[in-house]
Amino acid sequence: MLMLPSSLRRVMLRAILRRPFQAAMFILGVALGVAMMVAIDIANASATRAFGIFAESLTGRTTHQIVGGPSGVPYELYRQLRLELGVREAAPVVTAYAQALELDGQPLRIFGIDPFAEAPFRGYLNLGAANANADIASMTAFLTQPNTVLMAEQLAAQYGLQEGDTLTMRYGPTRHKLTIAGLLRSSDEVTAQGLQDMLIADISTAQEVLNMLGRLTNIDLIISETPDGEALLARIRSILPPGATVQVAGARASAVGQITAAFNLSLTALSLLALVVGMFLIYNTVTFSVVQRRPIIGILRALGVTRGQIFGMVLWEAALLAAFGVVFGLIAGVLMGRLAVVIVTQTISSLYFTVTVRNVDIPTLSLLKGALIGISAALLAALLPAYEATNTPPSGTLKRSDIERKVRRAVPLASLSGALVVAVSLGALSLPSLEVNFVALFGIVVGFSLFTPLVTLALMSAVRPLGGLLLGVLGLMAPRSIIRSLSRASVAIAALMVAVSVIVGISAMVGSFRNDVQGWLADTIRADILISPPSISAVRQDVPVEPSVADVVSRVQGVVAVGVSRSVDVIRPNDPQPVLLTAIDRDTSMGTRRLVWQIGDYETVWAALGEGAVMVSETFARQRGIPIAAGQHITLLTDRGEHTFPIAAFMVDYSGDQGTVMMRRHIYLQYYDDPYISTIAAWVAPGYAVSDVVNAIRAAFDGQQELLVQSNRDLRERVLVVFDQTFAITTALNLLATVVAFIGILSALASLQLERTREFGAMRANGMTRCQLFRLTLTETSLMGAIAAVMAAPVGTLLAWVLVYIINLRSFGWTLTLSLRPEFYAQATLVALVASLLAGVYPALRIGQIQPACALRLE
Amino acid sequence: MALSLTTAQRKSASVRSGAPIVRLRNLSKAYEEAGAQRMVLQALDADLYAGDFIVLLGKSGSGKSTLLNLIGGIDVPSSGEIWINGTNLTALNERALTLFRRDHIGFVFQFFNLIPTLTVLENVSLPFELQGKPRRDSERRARALLERVGLAHRADAYPDRLSGGEQQRVAIARALIHEPLLILADEPTGNLDEETGAKILHLLLALTRDEGKTLIMATHNPEVVPLADVVYHIHEGKLVAGPRA
Repeated sequence: MLMLPSSLRRVMLRAILRRPFQAAMFILGVALGVAMMVAIDIANASATRAFGIFAESLTGRTTHQIVGGPSGVPYELYRQLRLELGVREAAPVVTAYAQALELDGQPLRIFGIDPFAEAPFRGYLNLGAANANADIASMTAFLTQPNTVLMAEQLAAQYGLQEGDTLTMRYGPTRHKLTIAGLLRSSDEVTAQGLQDMLIADISTAQEVLNMLGRLTNIDLIISETPDGEALLARIRSILPPGATVQVAGARASAVGQITAAFNLSLTALSLLALVVGMFLIYNTVTFSVVQRRPIIGILRALGVTRGQIFGMVLWEAALLAAFGVVFGLIAGVLMGRLAVVIVTQTISSLYFTVTVRNVDIPTLSLLKGALIGISAALLAALLPAYEATNTPPSGTLKRSDIERKVRRAVPLASLSGALVVAVSLGALSLPSLEVNFVALFGIVVGFSLFTPLVTLALMSAVRPLGGLLLGVLGLMAPRSIIRSLSRASVAIAALMVAVSVIVGISAMVGSFRNDVQGWLADTIRADILISPPSISAVRQDVPVEPSVADVVSRVQGVVAVGVSRSVDVIRPNDPQPVLLTAIDRDTSMGTRRLVWQIGDYETVWAALGEGAVMVSETFARQRGIPIAAGQHITLLTDRGEHTFPIAAFMVDYSGDQGTVMMRRHIYLQYYDDPYISTIAAWVAPGYAVSDVVNAIRAAFDGQQELLVQSNRDLRERVLVVFDQTFAITTALNLLATVVAFIGILSALASLQLERTREFGAMRANGMTRCQLFRLTLTETSLMGAIAAVMAAPVGTLLAWVLVYIINLRSFGWTLTLSLRPEFYAQATLVALVASLLAGVYPALRIGQIQPACALRLE
Repeated sequence: MALSLTTAQRKSASVRSGAPIVRLRNLSKAYEEAGAQRMVLQALDADLYAGDFIVLLGKSGSGKSTLLNLIGGIDVPSSGEIWINGTNLTALNERALTLFRRDHIGFVFQFFNLIPTLTVLENVSLPFELQGKPRRDSERRARALLERVGLAHRADAYPDRLSGGEQQRVAIARALIHEPLLILADEPTGNLDEETGAKILHLLLALTRDEGKTLIMATHNPEVVPLADVVYHIHEGKLVAGPRA
């Protein structure tokens, strides 16, 4: 089978050349599927790798880190370690992201260090060494002048910066001017990648810029895994203040890196969707090429070509075309990947953590994976038609009616198999693995597509009398002809049904999500004005702001009340992932916050919070395995040591998929030495226009503090913009899958009609006008589109249900309410009808132009 | 054009010797039609001998083509046996049957059935190449056969550029290239005008006689009868030996 005789190779190659349209469709199907998969893979890999390298370069040779709560670690502790415990291998670090205003607001990590303690930890600075990566003059300036930084040569070159230039760094409401003292040469790839979005500063400069005077983000340690090392660790632990703890280096970074796993997986699944739709397209194309060549295959069989050789010929053809598709797909994937990297990193940065990707890696593995999956998918899709081709009887015994009779007989079996696949897939949805759930989702789609022949038969039989009444003889002919060519028509209808149901499913999922977010915003944020420092992340506000800012706001005319909140990362013992804690002094929801479980009415909950209980978001509970039920607690490491807080309520929260723990501010201040605030909410007195008060607040801070002052409405709009940005990639992928399906249906229907050229020739010879032929073709294709739309409505609804209640819940922990709006169905039906109508136009025009005699002569 | 053959070309039944090349034993074939079985051939028994020109006569739908398809191994009987040169076709599995066909049968169809994507030369050399013979050899043989059918100058043309008669000549060359035991022709002149049909018939017969091959032809053209060594009529599913003239 693998080796074809040269004569069969010629038959195969010339068949491809004779039908360039079909070959192009096949190549396009593979290319688009591969391109999307590779693009997403490149984007995911680039973002993950950038984060990994960055985390690795920050960690360096550090083995342990002393970390603290919101206020970090006191500098005093570092002094104690060095002087009292005599720990030589300890390095202080003060770090956070700030925005470089001259570089288009680019987030850069300010990394404050003690240059003399750094050497054993990280290789950025080799002071005085033979392989020094910055010259002596630069280093002298860096060490002696305040507000100076070092930056990577590559980054400087990218923005045309040089030594002596000044950068304005914005951190929250404040700006700082920093001078570039020198440029760092990178000795290796990892260092180069790690340095690419970093400004290295002296510890005191970083403390000033990041508002961390007297405090450190962490203290890095190198401790050997020996009894001596263990003893040293014990001694270090004994002097730690209550809010600090020792963590194994890298554990936190890798835990943070993993939080995007579900996001990455959902993108990968979406990108595979295009391939699945592409597979239908391939299946179609190969089926048609087999159907069209049946007479030739019959002759070959009569001349002694074995079934294996026929099977091989069809598969080789698929492999050859797939190879072309893969090449185009890889090229397009790499190009699209660059775009996808921007969208994916934007989403990760706004939802999870700041990540910048300057160099898009093209991992060989991604390309290999794309090529392998592309070829395999094409071969898999070609397998069934190839097998069918082997069943072509030798010439002389083939009857078209035999094929259709066989297909008719297979209808119950296909439907039964479909039911089985759907049942197994629905069962698999209850398994806890997200990967299995995604496979089950695809299973549901494929399972339902097996019902297509049955539904087509039923609908067309039912619609015939009506067609006759409305359109006369053409109305009778069109459904009959679909029934008669069931073997081919049902494949085209199935492909369209899959695409359209996916459109319904994803639109309904995103629409439901958006609806819930809108409702949640309306319920949760009922203050009139929200004030916050400019932030890199869309969902986090953790830059410290002086509490006096709230006093300034409260004194603005028209402000009747002010509430403050503080969002910080805190440590939960034995949990490598940080916990986002929000402390509020006044509830912006004013009692309308959506709760999924609570101890009593809202007043009771609020009162319990006042006594030291907390509210936990359902996403947090699901991610950390806390049952949403009565009697739950959460233990946090506070500046007073570990403390267990009772949970008074579980709330709905769409601000991020990692979830939040919420407590009252006075409780927060009891347990954490952090006087800062993050955002301020203001209520406007009756009779004042919100816009006037917004302007008055802006005026109050003008030239002093940089704050974002937004009305409630502006904020809601901004959140929805972020939401839409987050789903931009979903929408883009959905759109591309639709394009693939559209091309698929176009090629399938066009081939189906073109295949009947001879039949149409006979009709034309017997007096059918061009116009009648045109109408007949369009009636047929729109009927097929209508069947697809009818099937897609329930299948799409089921997909939406699975996406909302299972996939989304398992991936991110959000409980959404499925809201099905008529426009989702209208849009999908429109796509189905337009696709099928357009698909009918080309063959109708072409066949109409052919002279009947010519059509009849065609082989 | 009147058909005539030289005496040398015409082989008498009296020179037949040895075992028959084709033996049909109790051969039946039924087709399913609207859920019922329609018997096309019923319990046929016949012995056909090497080198003969055997004609199967019958009306349209009488089962001539079906019998030819069964002998050629491109269809399988409902019951009974077909022996060709000592091989029981009905005992062969699908693959063995295909290989048997490839090595021992040559087909000439009513509608020529050339492969439209191959040139005339490639069409003729196809069966030989399928046997795994070197391309150079098959081309040489194909060219020689094309020379004999008068189409050497059209070797590189594609079938759709040829007239019906020319296409059938190509098909005859293709049927002979691999030196099969049997040549089966199903209405080879049915799609041609009378004059061209006669020429084709003459050519086919001349070539098969020259090569000493056995030719079985299904036709409803009674003009062929005088040329045949053996004539069978198929009537109501039965095979009846008939007079040659």
